[in-house]
Amino acid sequence: MTQPKLELVNLVKEYENGDVVAVDGINLAVEAGETIALLGSSGCGKSTTLNMVVGLEQPTTGDIRIDGRSVVGVPAGKRNVGLVFQDYAVFTSMSVRRNLAFGLEVRKTPKAEIARAVDEVAELLGMQDKLDASARELGGSELQRVAIGRTLVTRPSILLLDEPLSNLETAARHAMRQELRRLQREIGLTIIYVTHDQVEALSLADRIAVMNAGHILQVEQTSRICERPEHVYVAGFLGSPPMNLVSGKLAARKDALVFRSTAFDLPLCALADLQAYPGEQTFSLGIKPERIALTNPGKGMISGTVTLAEPRGHESVLSVTVRGEELKVVVPVESQPAEGTAVDLILPPDALAFFDGETNKRTDILPEGR
Amino acid sequence: MNHSPSSDISAATSPQAQAATGRRPGTGIGKAMTIPGQVVSVLVLVLPLLVALYMSFTDWSPTRGSLFDASFVGFENYSELLVYDTRFLYAVLRTALISIICLSLEFAFGLGLAVLFMREFRGKSLLFSAFLTPMMILPVVVGYIFWMLFQSNGPINQILEFLFGAQACVEWFRSAPFAVTAVIITEVWHWTPLFFLILLSGLNSVPENPVRAAVILGASPRQVFWRVVLPMLKPVIIVAFVIRSMEIIKLFDEVFMLTRGGPGSSTETISLYIYKLAFNDFQLAYGAAAAFIVLIGSLVLVHMLLAPVRDQLLDGGR
Repeated sequence: MTQPKLELVNLVKEYENGDVVAVDGINLAVEAGETIALLGSSGCGKSTTLNMVVGLEQPTTGDIRIDGRSVVGVPAGKRNVGLVFQDYAVFTSMSVRRNLAFGLEVRKTPKAEIARAVDEVAELLGMQDKLDASARELGGSELQRVAIGRTLVTRPSILLLDEPLSNLETAARHAMRQELRRLQREIGLTIIYVTHDQVEALSLADRIAVMNAGHILQVEQTSRICERPEHVYVAGFLGSPPMNLVSGKLAARKDALVFRSTAFDLPLCALADLQAYPGEQTFSLGIKPERIALTNPGKGMISGTVTLAEPRGHESVLSVTVRGEELKVVVPVESQPAEGTAVDLILPPDALAFFDGETNKRTDILPEGR
Repeated sequence: MNHSPSSDISAATSPQAQAATGRRPGTGIGKAMTIPGQVVSVLVLVLPLLVALYMSFTDWSPTRGSLFDASFVGFENYSELLVYDTRFLYAVLRTALISIICLSLEFAFGLGLAVLFMREFRGKSLLFSAFLTPMMILPVVVGYIFWMLFQSNGPINQILEFLFGAQACVEWFRSAPFAVTAVIITEVWHWTPLFFLILLSGLNSVPENPVRAAVILGASPRQVFWRVVLPMLKPVIIVAFVIRSMEIIKLFDEVFMLTRGGPGSSTETISLYIYKLAFNDFQLAYGAAAAFIVLIGSLVLVHMLLAPVRDQLLDGGR
């Protein structure tokens, strides 16, 4: 196995003498050429992590390794790590050219070399005709291009992007998203995105690391993370709408294993099929809204009422209330029942996920092949 | 830099929108309510200015009857001042020289202090108040204090004697260079706090991320300060210079208290010269003409100073 480009080892950042723990012992290995997204709501520690990688903040304990070497204590600017800020932080008093040249000028690079590097990056970003414009005259996506270009000129081995798309309008976001993917392919950079926007993470990253309260809860291939969340927070965070989560207990009734919540009882499988009886602990039952099927009253597993129907293009998001518990169900818009309709729900056993009530981690209760 | 919200706001308050609301019916009462204010401003601002302007075209002196009996002399006062009056010319040059030296020193000290105050240290808030105190003292009082300090047997000479011996003592008000130096020291002491205050608030409002971006791009603290922070401070610096240059062109109180313009006319500023013209020589018309030349000069100066940042200041700080 090749050496990871960037490694975070038991990284901890505390503030105010340990009263506030922003990052609580995270471990992450990022491969060279990979694009990874740190996804989490604000205050989860993702920006602090970013600041530590780039060198603006020092970790309380733990290690940051780039190409196998620890960079803790190496000043920002000497780590060969680039950071593009959410607000771009372009130097508005300078022209685009001076912005792009800044990183090389402060290193006292020869003028000819700076000019060549600036032209190269300007071409890569399609900004040749804007080089002499003042940065003050630029619009959102142009500012972002300058911010990215300014960093690329210094040839960073790792590029960090803080919420790269959140300040852009929808049209510009799409264009920029494509452009970032193209850049990533052309230059083969290792990119780390920090974002609270799962659409952004899902569309840009090879892998996603979901963070909450200073922990990385799950690191997974983008294509798989929605399908198989390993933590109850990830389950409730990813997807639109996210996975339905109902807490309850497992119980044996006659010869069947039943999930009992305050709202409904759901028979799961025959006890005989189980290798071991999981006991009476609390579990969260998770099921994706797309996997729940509607049927006529009396024909499904649990009964409820459609309390809200939100059409969303070709599909419709229903809120089905089952004795006080609300479940989201996604159905094709043409088969959308009216609000107030009584419906039955079918929850296919292979679509169910269980999360331990204590550890919040996914546990497999049902036997394979169900 | 929230582009979409700010553009929405600017669209709503665009000149067209404002013009449209201005033409809305029912604003007659609104206009009527501005009349008292306008009357006051005409009485205290426009009228005296017009009278002074008229006066500057006459040969009026209060010892010779009413202003309206005085004979109209056209641009004679102005041509006399600009072409023949070397004392006026020297007063202008002297004021310019004192202004340039004072403002440079005030800017340098103010910026240095402001940078120091960006750090945390013990007693910071106490020192902050202490450093701002000079600015709050009346110019006349400052002039009087320094007049006492600069006496030949005053504290400053006593300190100089203690440090460097009796030969270091200076007769501050008896030689032109030392008198000018005393004026400059007084003025710098008095007004450095204003630069300090304005530059400190400017430094505090410098956005953090461009600074951090520069650090990440490999800039040293010195490069960050000169290449990133200072250019972002430019509008603030220019505003500080505009405010101070308007004040220092009118430099009067301290000089009046310290030297009365002497020895000879070696510390005579424009204001002091105009004062002497008007109230010692009773040449009010001639003085008014001098004042108008200074007014026009200051207007030109302010516009020149503001030119590089006018768009930035009017553009909502982008």
